[in-house]
Amino acid sequence: RPAGRGMAAAAFERRVLRRAAEHHYLRVRLELPDGGARPSAAQFKQLVVTALRELHGEVGAALPVDVLTYEEKTLSAILRVISSGLVKLWSALTLLGFYQNRRCAFRVLQTSPFLLALSGNSRELVL
Amino acid sequence: QNSFTVCFSVGYSAVALNHVIDFKEKKQEIVKPTSPSELFPSLPIVQGTSKRIKVLTRLTLIVSDPSHCNLLRSTSANIRLYDIIAVFPKTEKLFHIACTTLDVDLVCINVTEKLPFYFRRPPVNMAIDRGIYFELLYTPAIKDSTMRRYTISNAISLMQICKGKNIVISSAAERPLELRGPYDVANLGLLFGLSEGEAKAAVSTNCRAAMLHGETRKSACGVVYTVKKPRKVEEEETAVPACKKAKTQA
Repeated sequence: RPAGRGMAAAAFERRVLRRAAEHHYLRVRLELPDGGARPSAAQFKQLVVTALRELHGEVGAALPVDVLTYEEKTLSAILRVISSGLVKLWSALTLLGFYQNRRCAFRVLQTSPFLLALSGNSRELVL
Repeated sequence: QNSFTVCFSVGYSAVALNHVIDFKEKKQEIVKPTSPSELFPSLPIVQGTSKRIKVLTRLTLIVSDPSHCNLLRSTSANIRLYDIIAVFPKTEKLFHIACTTLDVDLVCINVTEKLPFYFRRPPVNMAIDRGIYFELLYTPAIKDSTMRRYTISNAISLMQICKGKNIVISSAAERPLELRGPYDVANLGLLFGLSEGEAKAAVSTNCRAAMLHGETRKSACGVVYTVKKPRKVEEEETAVPACKKAKTQA
């Protein structure tokens, strides 16, 4: 039964996005136990790109990664990467061992396709 | 000691301490494992649950000669004290023997150099049927870039034969910085060619299954445990008539 064209406009509009999210967000922390100089934001981005290049080559290094926030005091950052490149970025960060010949480790604290989800972390809840 | 505090903060619920025995040197004796309670007076609680972290002991035997396997067949008293037994075969024949007849829980796959032999399907399938898991290490991949290539190439060739079943990924970390969180390691499994579910299982369910496989070695057919119990026979006998009384009354 054909619906009447002259129906009144609905009061709300529903949008369903079937596409997967475009970007994935990662909250990471770099652990540098020795008390040397801490990397600046640019050096941090350079470190991420180097990690990608070491594991995935030039194609990996060309992956669109953005550092959205970076705190030098705690060495923690929020990275944004295109969803198809999440596995590459995550594995590159996991396998990174050295920063300027100093031992380091990346700890990925949270990852989510939504930036809002990174604001709350149930693992850090103090009950 | 430090490594373990990192484990706890990163979210692992069971850790195994590894003792490596290399048979190339003469006169290797299997030493008694240091009990975990001696090393840590109190174990921290796993984040998210209320249980404490389990610390197990594990023995790795590097075998390059069939005569070394005799040690496993003989019931040496010290071997039974270890929770998990792993074997590291160096030749194809030993790999076949380890998969088909040896009583081990894990077969380690070499990641630091090119495999001297190719995997074949029959021994791998037999190992999967017997409940033996293949182990891959990821810490060499963090240290050196040539090791990275060998790790990934050996892992991929293993995946082609075993189709991703019965894989355990573990770290041979000597320092706390070489440890990675469980989800990071599961992501590495994706690099090796596992599917997402298999990769997560390689870190969680397969490891637990290997632990249980080790526990069944202490029991008969995995069902019956024998535990030394202090003599309490008289108490039991007096208890039985009481039950009988209750039945007749009711």
